[in-house]
Order: sequence, then C-alpha cells, then structure tokens
Amino acid sequence: MSKFVDRPRYSCAMGGALGVLRAINRAIPILHTSAGCGSNLFGGMNNGSAYIGGGYCGGLALPSTNVIERDIVFGGDEHLREQIKTTLEVMDGDLYVVLTGCMVEMIGDDVDAVCSEYADADVPLIAVHTPSFQGDSLDGYDTLLSAFAKKLVPRGQETIPATVNILGIIPGQDVFWEGNLKELKRLLALIGVRANTLFGEGETIADIRRSGSAALNVVVSDTYGVRTAQEYEELHGIPFITTGLPIGITDTETFLCAVAAALGIAPEVVTQALAPERRTYYAYIERLADLYNDVDLQRYAIIVGDANYVPPISKFVADELGWIPRLAVITDQIKDDDVKDNLLARFRDYESAVAPDVRFNTDASSIKHYIAELFPQNHNDRYTDLYNQVVVIGSSIERGIADEYGYPLLTATFPVTNRLVFGRAYAGLNGALTLVEDLISAVISGR
Amino acid sequence: MDYLNSNAAPVREERLKTNIAFGGTAGELLECARSGCFGADGCLNQARRTFSQTIGCQFTLSLAVLYTMRKAVFVIHAPIGCGSQSVGSVGITQTLHKLRDERAEPLVWLSTNLDEADVITGGERKLRETVLFADAEFRPEAIIVCNTCVPSLIGDDLENIVNDLQTQVSATVVPVYCEGFKTKVMATAYDAIYHGVLKKYVRDPDRDKKLYESDLEKARREYLISRNVNILNVSSMSRADELEIQRLLTAIGLNVQFLPCYSEPEDFQYALESSLNVAICGTHDDYFVKHMQEKYGIPFIIDTIPIGRKNTARWLLKIAEHFELVDEARALIAYEDKLLDKALEPFRAELAEKTVFLGGGEVRVVGTAEIIQDLGMKIAGMKPHHFDEFIEPIFDVLEDIDGVPVDVATNQPFEQANLIRRIKPDLILSHTGGNNITAKYGVPILPIFGVSYNYMGYSGVYEVARRISRLLKNYQFNKRLSKNAPLPFKESWYEQDPFTYIAEI
Repeated sequence: MSKFVDRPRYSCAMGGALGVLRAINRAIPILHTSAGCGSNLFGGMNNGSAYIGGGYCGGLALPSTNVIERDIVFGGDEHLREQIKTTLEVMDGDLYVVLTGCMVEMIGDDVDAVCSEYADADVPLIAVHTPSFQGDSLDGYDTLLSAFAKKLVPRGQETIPATVNILGIIPGQDVFWEGNLKELKRLLALIGVRANTLFGEGETIADIRRSGSAALNVVVSDTYGVRTAQEYEELHGIPFITTGLPIGITDTETFLCAVAAALGIAPEVVTQALAPERRTYYAYIERLADLYNDVDLQRYAIIVGDANYVPPISKFVADELGWIPRLAVITDQIKDDDVKDNLLARFRDYESAVAPDVRFNTDASSIKHYIAELFPQNHNDRYTDLYNQVVVIGSSIERGIADEYGYPLLTATFPVTNRLVFGRAYAGLNGALTLVEDLISAVISGR
Repeated sequence: MDYLNSNAAPVREERLKTNIAFGGTAGELLECARSGCFGADGCLNQARRTFSQTIGCQFTLSLAVLYTMRKAVFVIHAPIGCGSQSVGSVGITQTLHKLRDERAEPLVWLSTNLDEADVITGGERKLRETVLFADAEFRPEAIIVCNTCVPSLIGDDLENIVNDLQTQVSATVVPVYCEGFKTKVMATAYDAIYHGVLKKYVRDPDRDKKLYESDLEKARREYLISRNVNILNVSSMSRADELEIQRLLTAIGLNVQFLPCYSEPEDFQYALESSLNVAICGTHDDYFVKHMQEKYGIPFIIDTIPIGRKNTARWLLKIAEHFELVDEARALIAYEDKLLDKALEPFRAELAEKTVFLGGGEVRVVGTAEIIQDLGMKIAGMKPHHFDEFIEPIFDVLEDIDGVPVDVATNQPFEQANLIRRIKPDLILSHTGGNNITAKYGVPILPIFGVSYNYMGYSGVYEVARRISRLLKNYQFNKRLSKNAPLPFKESWYEQDPFTYIAEI
C-alpha cells in the first residue's frame, strides 16, 4: 500500500519510458494519453535532469493523441489508429513506441490490437503499457526495456564472449547517465570486456537489437534494471549480476572484479589494468593535499536521493575523501524488503568505520526531522559539539534545507535545476574525480 | 456571470467557444469570427487535428499559475506522475517569491500518489491523509487541492471531502477542479483557479471595526478606496513589468494592488476595498472580474494588453476614463511617447523591414505584434495557442494585417516547421517549451515572455527593441544547430499544406 509523497523526485511509468526513448537516437514516442501528460513529463524531465532538452523528438514535439472526455466515453481505439497513421506520415524515425497513460488504461482501450496491425511495417512499432497508477518512473525504465527485450530484441542470438550489457542507469533520472555509461564502458574495456550501453554516445537501435548476444548483463543498481535483466535471462538466456553504481577506486575495483569473476576473467587482469589508472587517479587527488589540510576541509555530510546514488556517494566521501557522512536518506518508494536489505548492506564494512544513519523516506520534509533527531542541538550551553561543518549532497529540493541551516549544497541527484550537465560522470574513476571537484568547489565558493 | 454554485467552472469550449485549430490568414480569421463561425454551430468551434503533438492541459497550466501564490502548499490528487513538472519550479519559484518577500518559504507540493488499489477503492483516504499531513507539517495559510483525471473518473467526491477536512485543519482548503481530459483549451485553467479562489479566498477583510470614526477619517477611508485599483497580473509577467505598470498608474494618482500572482490569501480580502478590477489579459481574467462585479459590485475593464505603446496608451486611457483622470493620462502618454520615440530611433533604422514570426498565447502574440510594427519590422506570421473573443480588440492597433498567415495551434511544432520553411522569417518570438525544434530553423529567437525581463508598458517596448537588436547581432548558436542537428519531420511533410491535419469533427 503506497502513501502520499511530499515532493516526489520521480514521475510515472510513462515518464521513465520517455527518458529512455529520449536517450535513443531517432526513436519516436507516440503517447496515447490525456492532454497534458507529455508536456508535464517533459517539463519535469528537462528541468530536473540538468537540462537534457527535448532533443530530436521530445518536448512539445512528442506525438500524442491528447484524449479528452469524448474519447473516454466512446473509447480511443480509432483515435489511436488515426494518430499512428498520421505520425508515420509526418515523423521521421527508426522506431515508434506507443506509450499508454492512465485514462486509456482505465477505459480498456485495446492498444495492443491496434499496434499489431503494424507488425509487418518496415519500421518497428511496438506498444508499451505505462499507466502512472501502476508504477513510477523508476519502474517505467524497466517496463520499457523489458518490452524491448521481448518485442525488439531477436531471440536465439549467438553469445559473443566477453561482452556485456549495462543496465540500471535511468536516462534523465540519473542526471549523469550519459557520462556514467561512457565511463563504465571505458573501465570495462580496460579488462577486455566490450560493453553495450544500449544508448548513449554513438549507440543506435541496432545496439539494442544485438543486446541478446551479450554474455552477461551487469546491473549497476540494486533495484533499477533488475526486472529487465530477469527478462533477458528468461528470453535470451543471459545471466546477470548486480553491482551497485561504482564511485571511486575501491568501488571500481570491486565492480571490475565482479564482472571479471562472472565472465571467467582472472583477477590479475583487473589488478594490472587498474595500476596505471590508480597512478593517474592519485596524481589528481594529490593536488588536493595542500588545500584539504591547509584549511581543514573535512566535513559532515547529509546525502539525499535515489537508491543508486546515496550508498556509493556515502561510502566514497567516508572511505576516500575522509568525510563523515552522518545521514543518508533514500527517497525511492521501495516496497521489497530484500531490496532494502541489499541497500543497507552497502553501508556496512566501511574502512573508515563512519557509516551514516540510513533512512528510507520519500518525503522531502523528513530531512529536517532527521537532522533534529541526529544532530546535536543548541540549548544555549556554553560548550556544545554542534555539527556546523556540514555539506548537503542532494537535489535542488534540498535548497530549502541548505538555505535554512546555511549548509553548502551540491546538487547531484534528481532534480538538478541549478546546473547544466552534458557528458560528465560521477561514476567510476573519472566520475569520482569530478565529484571531488564539485564537492570541494561547493565548500570553497567564497574564496 | 455566476457559476459559483457549481463545483467546477465550465470548460471554455462551451463557455467561450474557444477554437484551437485554424489555418488561414488574419483577415479570414477575423471575418470568420465576425460571421459567427465560432458560435455553437459554427464550423470552427469543434475543429480538431488528425495528427497532434503533446499540449499542456488545464492542470499543468493551473500549477504554473498556482505556484506563484504565496503562503500556500499544493496537494495534487493524482497518480505519482501528474505534476512532475513541479521539479522544474523548485528553484525559480523561491527566487521569484523572494522578490516579493525575503522570507518566502520553499515551494511545497504533495502527490496523493494514487495506485492501482486506489483506482478500484477510491482515493479518499489518501487525500485526507495528505491534507492533514500538509496542515500539521507546514502550517500554511492555504492548502490548494488540484483534482486530476484519475480521481475524477473513479468518482472521488472532492467537494465533500474538502468541506469535511476544512473542519479539521487550520489552513483554508481550496479545491481546484482542473482535470486535464475535460478540455483541450489549456486556458480553462484560469477559470478553474479563480473558481476556487473566488469561493475560498475572497471575503470581507478581517478588520477591527472602529467604535467611532470621525468624518475626516471616513472621508479619508472612502477616498483611498476610490483611488484603489486591482490589476490582475499573469504568471508570465516579471517583477519589472509590474513595476512599470505601477509607475504609470501611480503617475495619474492611483494606488495599485496586483493579484493573483505572487499574492497571499489575505490580499484577496483587500481586493474588495477597491473600486476597479483591470485585466492585463482578458484570456486570463474574465471569469474573475465578471464574478467580482456580479457578487461584490466592483466594475471591471477587459480590453487590450499593455504591450506596445498604442496598446499601453489605450489600456491606460480606459482606466483613466473610469477615474475621470483622462487629462492626466493624456499628458503622461504624450510625455512617454516623446521619450520613447527618441530612444527607439537607432533601433528603427537598424531593424526596418526585418520579418518576424510570433507564437504563444493569443493575447501576447497580437499585443507584441504592435511592438514589431512600431519598430518598422514586418509581421510574417502568427501562431496563437487558441482564438476567442478577447483577441479581437487587440487587432485594432495593427496595420496591414489581413494577409498575414495565422495558425491557431497549441504548440504543434510540426505545423510551425512547415510554415517557417515557407515564410523564412528573420526573427521568431517564441513561447517556452518547443525550442528544441524552433532553434533548428537557424533563426534568432526572442522568448515572447520571460519572468525576468520587461515586456510591458513603455519601458517594455524599449527592452524588446534592444534585445532584438542584440539577438540579431549574433545568432551563431541557432545557425550552427540548424546545420548539425536534424529536425524530426519527413521531407514529404514540407511539401504538404501546413494545415493538412486540421479537420472538423
């Protein structure tokens, strides 16, 4: 049973699906839904994703039936049939995907039947059911990719050794999705593994189609992408591992070792591949030695956001940056206790032994209550160990808290509205260095 | 007009016979309007598209307006996706609120997060929990509850729930019925909001009554009211626009209060201590001002929008006539004209004969066209979101407009792309939202509105002129895009008539 959400950081299943389609070059969504859905979802996605933009066919260019009361009363099948026909006349794409909204699902339009009329068309057209009342945008990512695994990826492809698909990074919802995918692909190449990210720089629909030939699916998340990986396992016989999103040298090593083990690559290959990377990485980190120790740049941290980012950022700032994460709030709607346990496990065994209090709460207002609970309060005692050296790593929604307490804020999790992000990463090694740049810059902005 | 006994405002297709699909020239459109094509049985009232692209709904537009209103939190009674555009308002809303109140609180919205079980059993329990939580957690002056498609279809009795909740919370609970699927005319949103505001915000101010009031005090009180005017602002206006409007009206001796944007609930009580309501934009405000006249006897003016000098002068004179301040207004207008003319000289020389395409809200499009003509530029085409009676008076100040192509379309970038290829304008004035497409024509773009720029009054004309001049100096960004980022339309589409997909029901 779900509850209300105070300032949700995700949209609906259709929003998640639209994020993926936005990332696929020349994919044309056709929305079968009320007026407003496409405009609303893109408004949120464009602003919240540090400005992913409408791109080729997003934003107000999205084809949409814009159903109104008349369609609800009489059914929208004919309307959809007409819209598909005219969309094919006007819009130039390599893949057309019909996404359904709440209203047409409630009245039971037979969308699959209408779309099946295009089964033999030159350009693929598939239908995916994405009503909001059945899932949020984090679910929508899997709903769309599962549908691809089923309807777009040919079965019976021959397995190509040492190739993997990367799952678990949601375009738009992960503000650094494209940079993260690029960095993970680069890291895997270091150990001789070719990664198919399905979308990103240079990937096309052909890459999605050939994803059935991978030897392994690597899900870099404890929740997103798991359902898709299960679908691939069942339909295409591809096993999968879940690793979490790696940030920093320790995580990267663990990540590469896990992939290597699953593919039967010797662990020495990872050690050898990482040796020059480690030298470069620490050559950069070394630059900070002066400033960090000159002015005492250790901070307490509050980390707020989705299940992919909160665990690795917390661990990274503790074990590598030497900070003290005090509070970590995961804002997803997580119904499955096993998923919660897996996420909690990622906060154990810190080398620094300073793991934060971890809370699962969807509501933005909860942060303030946790601060009151966990942080020493000023009771006008002469001496109090107040945590006044705090950095908030969260979303633009945390601007309120940051302003109120006077804490610097680094916006890293959705929504990020005060920055523009192209292809930079927070994952892997280059991503970790970027994260350090941004964290320290947030602290020293007054210099 | 009195719709306040109903739960919800009527949709504009019904109330105003608003049209959202027309292709032709301005002359044809005006002729059509005058001969009744927009009437109940008219050919244009029910026009539609057989191919369409996404549009905002009355709910999404409602949020854009509601989020300007201070000291309220917003409850979205819907599945989780509705209103996700709010994440884009977090930062900018607080920034804009702080221009009016340094201590403004961050924007708070809550989703009742209806799921599959609620679709079957109803959303009442969640709505109650949400409103009670909002009241206890945030202690707002008002809780504004937006109703959306799903609870409307499953039959939640919002009116009853809200009335019952009102007995349990300290905030004023305001229902706004803005279900997206009810209408294709986004602008119905303004009526939906005002409907709630009229019922819940507008009431006599809670003042201590004096036991004794001297004649002098009474005369003073009444005199002040006789000089108070409510200006109905719009969420697309900037603070700079407000200051310019206020400057002009103060100059002829009036006291100005702006409503509804950036106001707080109490301001609507003081709105009753005023002698005139003036719409900045008829499309926004007719529902409010007509009810204010009907219910509280406050007269109103809906005429043109104060964008462009002739429109501004006309708008000022209408107000001045009401207060018998015409001489003062004429003197002001003459003075402002003289200063502006001198300031515009260099821009007129530079911009003469450039062609301009305008797209956006109907009133802004036609209003801003006056600035374009004033600067000696040519109107090459117009694309208003919709068309209704409020646009007609604004055409008056435009010259030689009959042959100009007009596409009545809420967004629909595919039609615009086809038109632009034919028209090849030197400059586009464009509404926010579709510029991933518009930029790729390789032409400079001036946003047709902006919450941080001045467009209105005399200073607005100058600001628009100098920004156009700046934009035309270098538009390499869009030019490069047009050569390197393709548009999504098939080449065959450009060979079709741009209005191919407009049809009657």
